[in-house]
Amino acid sequence: MALHVPKAPGFAQMLKDGARHFSGLEEAVYRNIAACKQFADTVRTAYGPNGMNKIVINHIEKLFVTNDAATIIKELEVEHPAAKIIILASQMQEQEVGDGTNFIIIFAGALLHEAEDLLRMGLTPTEIAMGYELAVEKALEILPTLTCFEVKDYRNKSEVVKSIKTAIMSKQYGNEKIISNFVADACISILPEDGSFNVDNIRICKILGSGLFNSSVVRGMVFKKNVEGVVTKKLNAKVVVFTCPVDVTTTETTGTVLIKTADELMNFSRGEENRLEEQIKSLKNIGVDVVVSGGKFGDLALHYLNKYDMMAVRLQSKFDIRRLSKTVNATALPKLVCPSKEELGYADTVYIDELGDTPIVVFKNDGTDTRISTIVIRGATDNYMDDIERAVDDGVNTFKGITKDGRFVPGAGATELELAHKIAQYGDSLPGLEQYSVKKFATSLEYFVKTLAENTGVKAKEVISKLYAVHNDGNQNYGFNIEGEGDDIIDASSSGILDLYLTKFWALKYATQAACTVLSIDQIILAKRAAGNAKKASSVNKLEMIMFEIR
Amino acid sequence: MQPQILLLKEGTEDSQGKPQLISNINACQTVAEAVRTTLGPRGMDKLIVDRNGRTTISNDGATIMKLLEIVHPAAKTLVDIAKSQDAEVGDGTTSVVLLANEFLKQEKQYVDEGVHPRYIIKAIRKAIDIIIKRIDELAPKIEKNRSLLEKCAATALSSKLIHQQKEFFAKMVVDAVLMLDDLLPLNMIGIKQVQGGALEDSVLVDGVAFKKTFSYAGFEMQPKKYINPKIALLNVELELKAERDNAEIRVESAKEYQKIVDAEWNILYSKLDLIHKCGAQVVLSKLPIGDVATQYFADRDMFCAGRVPEEDLNRTLKACGGAVLTTVHDLNDNVLGKCSLFEEKQVGSERFNVFKGCPNAKTCTIILRGGAEQFLEETERSLHDAIMIVRRMIKNDSVVAGGGAIEMQLSKTLRDYSRTVAGKEQLLIGAIAKALEIIPRQLCDNAGFDATNILNKLRQKHAMGECWYGVDITKEDISDNFEKCVWEPAVVKKNALVAACEAACLVLSVDETIKNPKSSKGDGGSPPNMMGRGRGRPM
Repeated sequence: MALHVPKAPGFAQMLKDGARHFSGLEEAVYRNIAACKQFADTVRTAYGPNGMNKIVINHIEKLFVTNDAATIIKELEVEHPAAKIIILASQMQEQEVGDGTNFIIIFAGALLHEAEDLLRMGLTPTEIAMGYELAVEKALEILPTLTCFEVKDYRNKSEVVKSIKTAIMSKQYGNEKIISNFVADACISILPEDGSFNVDNIRICKILGSGLFNSSVVRGMVFKKNVEGVVTKKLNAKVVVFTCPVDVTTTETTGTVLIKTADELMNFSRGEENRLEEQIKSLKNIGVDVVVSGGKFGDLALHYLNKYDMMAVRLQSKFDIRRLSKTVNATALPKLVCPSKEELGYADTVYIDELGDTPIVVFKNDGTDTRISTIVIRGATDNYMDDIERAVDDGVNTFKGITKDGRFVPGAGATELELAHKIAQYGDSLPGLEQYSVKKFATSLEYFVKTLAENTGVKAKEVISKLYAVHNDGNQNYGFNIEGEGDDIIDASSSGILDLYLTKFWALKYATQAACTVLSIDQIILAKRAAGNAKKASSVNKLEMIMFEIR
Repeated sequence: MQPQILLLKEGTEDSQGKPQLISNINACQTVAEAVRTTLGPRGMDKLIVDRNGRTTISNDGATIMKLLEIVHPAAKTLVDIAKSQDAEVGDGTTSVVLLANEFLKQEKQYVDEGVHPRYIIKAIRKAIDIIIKRIDELAPKIEKNRSLLEKCAATALSSKLIHQQKEFFAKMVVDAVLMLDDLLPLNMIGIKQVQGGALEDSVLVDGVAFKKTFSYAGFEMQPKKYINPKIALLNVELELKAERDNAEIRVESAKEYQKIVDAEWNILYSKLDLIHKCGAQVVLSKLPIGDVATQYFADRDMFCAGRVPEEDLNRTLKACGGAVLTTVHDLNDNVLGKCSLFEEKQVGSERFNVFKGCPNAKTCTIILRGGAEQFLEETERSLHDAIMIVRRMIKNDSVVAGGGAIEMQLSKTLRDYSRTVAGKEQLLIGAIAKALEIIPRQLCDNAGFDATNILNKLRQKHAMGECWYGVDITKEDISDNFEKCVWEPAVVKKNALVAACEAACLVLSVDETIKNPKSSKGDGGSPPNMMGRGRGRPM
């Protein structure tokens, strides 16, 4: 190492070599804000139906084409600690509601951006954070009063389609009708009586070729597989599911078969064959038509399965086995034994088909007791289908939200603007310094209309002022019309642009929390990275260098 | 001025905005340049040498695109749609790439002028909607018969290397496909290449043919021809071998030892006996058949072949019936396959085992003859395309006229429509209409005609309501291609248009590319990073 520069006296002296530490407004807070803002700007252009897609290539060279913020942030390897806080908030949203991730990032970014002004004015970060918290409390109080639509019967397809259309629209603008139909079909068909809905029960199967319009919904499951044996179709099939390989049983411990006499040798393999035949015959005897296994089918086993006219399907994924068991109502057996009647599953039809040049195995159950349905997506490119899948996911998550709480608020920025409007009024009534930050909270809410407008290529200020005018007259459902010419506005409620109440509720909460957390940091202490990951250390080092230069 | 804050990992590439969109479009254009000259009967072939030094000569769009190993993220989309077209319909791969590219190219100017890409996407989707409907309206449903299928196959083949023999092959392909069962499984048509001879020497076998497998001594004595033989299909190793890997034999006396040796022979002989007794005359096995067995069969006038590739065995199964047996104990008349003629034939320098006249022949084999290896391979690809077309035709029965006729008609439809809408959409849809003309234009260019002149004539014809006029390659003119029987299945065109639309929309909808650094496996190779970058800051 070259010349040793003596360390500045003070805090740094107490830490181990290599640890870094930043404190104060200039060093920590502003820089954090700037980082979050920059990050928010990356995903901002992806917001709304007119948002643009991003190509993200992750570290294993997989290509993503998407405008789904959850995917973008998952694949981006964000290094900055403050930006990571926002990402965490957004991931929480993904888990809680499954939609509205972009909302959080944009809103947190906006809150921080506005906070910067206040900080420069002389407010302390704590005062701002307090003001924000006051504001969000008020916002959540107002939010229920903005409800404009409620799904009463979530088995009613037209209501469901209407409500999930908006969520899908923001991902697949132009295809929202067809996709929301699929999602609604798939979701309603498998909804249990008690209404508890599991997102995992909607499966997606992507098959290359043709176009989106040839996609379909299948009640039951679809696997991109071929059958093992020669039997390709079974009607009213009884299904047995094994998690073990279907083959001659072998011992786990390495044993040696000891043969003493010539007779034993002669009968050895014959005995094995007979045993297996017996087992498979016993399956046939209780009426099994389809054998599903998590392991390999041995040649010999397959031979007997063919002989007794049974269909053999091999599924490698443990999860697939579990889901299939659920689909056909079977109990998965860990050992090759004859199942009891209760352990057998049932499927109306099991058959192989060819879509494009992909062979698929379909387990279809048209009865009412199906718990899993599959959306078969067709499309010209893998990336395109991946993106559709994400849109479907959002739709399914929205449906899940409906089953919990069927309330909806107007979309198209109407809710945000109304909140901004009301909170600004509320801010005026506050006596203390909070007034400033509450008002900034209101300004931050305008960002959504602004973003929608900017992504559409319209002058944001004109739209906002126009909307304020309308909202002032009490038309609280008016939002920005992305389909109109120029700064057009529209009644979001009557034109069916609806956002789930829950999404907005949690998003506001999480985003404010994240922003307040970032604001309340006044010191960053980075321990020296553990050796071993040289690459990561180098990039942190660069960060440090930049920070050093600023000083 | 603030220095940039390092938000992402070092080494992350990030580009965004309009320039990014334009550069993506440009990349796609470059890729499309590579395949555009292969379109149509007068299209040229490409010779591609891959990194292993293997040469491929092809004018199949999908094959070329796959071999190009494109890494550009946007241009990869074009490869994907070519693959998708290949998977769905099997032909028209070049057209789909050209169409997608031309959509992008025509809309590029509007991106330049600042039209929001979302408007363009919307317009493209709308346009595709209209033309798909138009195809459905136009395409006449035609009763399926041989001549129709042959015409479609011939159209598909006319753009290939073997277009000289297109009638010959079209007939062969249709025969082959008609032999299949309802599902029309592609893998039930075997294509075998044998070098030497002329293309016309290629034959279609209504049954199975495969190359003679490796054989042991005694094979020469076996008869090579049977009439109405019974066929045993096995998955059994007919050789002296250990019954099981982990079995061990402990003997106590020398006598016992001899018995064990005898027993091993007995096991083999009992298997052979069983096979012989069941009346099979031809024995095929996936696993090796040893020389003891070979001689045993030869003594009893039976034919055997071991190590038959699984695919061939399965096709034999389909053709001759019976079952593939993993044990010889279940051998009986039901599981034996039958055919009217089995023989071993000399084809070129190879010997072939041929099964003919099978009772439920749901499979067939095409033995291709010809010169160079690459030539044969390209022929196989061409036949594959033709087979796919015929398969599609059997499943869907509407046809459209080829030779650019349908594209001209769609272009006209769109242009008429665009005049009825106001606003930007008019221009955007007009651009799509223009983009569709790329197919006839490229056909002319590749044939060396004056594209402008011919397109003019075509537009005039179509404006007069003659909706099937297309380029006539043979006369350097235009003609009614429907009457001339240049037919393509409507489904091919529909799929191509939908795929092209999806690809174009995908490329247009991207405004940012973020590339994470590749994660190198094991950081050991990279030099230790420069700590402190020479500023002497200790780490």
